[in-house]
Amino acid sequence: PSPLTGSPPQALVDDTEDVSLDFGSEEELALRKAKIRHPLATFFHLFFRVSAIITYLFCDWFSNSFVACFVTILLLLSFDFWSVKNVTGRLLVGLRWWNQIDEDGKSHWVFEAKRVPTIAASTEAEARIFWLGLIICPVIWTVFFFSTLFSLKLKWLALVIAGISLQTANLYGYIHCKLGGQKSISRLMSRFFVTADVPKRQTRRISEDRTEEHGKMGTR
Amino acid sequence: FADLADVSIAEDIPVEGEITVPVGSRSPDDDYSTLDEPVRDTIMRDLKAVGKKFVHVMYPKKSSALLRDWDLWGPLVLCVSLALMLQGGSADSKDDGGPQFAEVFVIIWFGAVVITLNSKLLGGTISFFQSLCVLGYCVLPLTVAMLVCRLVLLAGSGTVSFIIRLIVVVAMFGWSTLASTAFLADSQPPNRKALVVYPIFLFYFVISWMILTFTPQ
Repeated sequence: PSPLTGSPPQALVDDTEDVSLDFGSEEELALRKAKIRHPLATFFHLFFRVSAIITYLFCDWFSNSFVACFVTILLLLSFDFWSVKNVTGRLLVGLRWWNQIDEDGKSHWVFEAKRVPTIAASTEAEARIFWLGLIICPVIWTVFFFSTLFSLKLKWLALVIAGISLQTANLYGYIHCKLGGQKSISRLMSRFFVTADVPKRQTRRISEDRTEEHGKMGTR
Repeated sequence: FADLADVSIAEDIPVEGEITVPVGSRSPDDDYSTLDEPVRDTIMRDLKAVGKKFVHVMYPKKSSALLRDWDLWGPLVLCVSLALMLQGGSADSKDDGGPQFAEVFVIIWFGAVVITLNSKLLGGTISFFQSLCVLGYCVLPLTVAMLVCRLVLLAGSGTVSFIIRLIVVVAMFGWSTLASTAFLADSQPPNRKALVVYPIFLFYFVISWMILTFTPQ
């Protein structure tokens, strides 16, 4: 049918015509295809934990001094705790947890989960590496605990206990985030967090008892 | 602290605040959460928090910043440096100082945990990790005392050096105890303050004792 206006008839787009879809730049395309989108984070997630375990197993080869090994392993465990808690968790699986003290002095454990996947969101391979690393290492440290206890090398016990507590804390925190995230999928978007003012983190948060608070409450 | 017991707010002073409940949905793109901040920001933020707390310990005024954002990095660093400086004492001549190093760790952390449990059992309102944080950070003056003692011992180990060390350690011990009670005693009911302060006193006393009786080989 010819158009009712006076302009010349234009070709209609039909199903066989090629339509080019714009996925974005080349870089984004490569990012989408890559199996591991955060290579550095993945590396560091495993690096500190595995180094701590290797150093513990082979400390006699590295150095004669108990003190040097102790301090090295402790530092590796601490860096691992910090990096898994603050960096690799949010980059690899989009989860984060922390503790917040509000103005009454009550402590709240806050669990944050990313709802909307962006281009740089994590892949399945990364998530698998993350969870495997998170679960296997505390198990290994528990094995070390029993071996230390039964072989009576008690001077290492403090270190092994520190290792178990730090790694189990991360494991527990992330499992809680994950389970909390799955429960909230069936609820409305009002459960989503925002923290605009990073040092204070007071603008909007969901505490563990599932109530939502906003803004500052000044009473003094 | 008896004067503070009967402070009350007059009724004509307005007390105001702001509580809003968000209505409607928000577009996800508007939300900036700490999930997306660059790693460098995270590191700098945590480092600054640790530095601020160290400064707070050195000038203990009654502020709740130390209590609000607790972290255990400072106590870890202090514990490790104190334990390292207590190495090489005459007690461990034949082995490499292993047990004594772990001893310092266990004393500090276990002692802090016991004090925290004690204060919680006495009805304190402070949380477990906050209390550990404060106790750990207040070891800073004693670590400084250890440093000074080691330097003094380099010069000699006679009576004069002992007197200097004694003065320094006692002063730092007093500073630590005062700093930690300034932060912790507020969270206790008023008639229990002495019961809470006493274990803290004992804790820092034990650490000061270890510092004072340290003699290098």
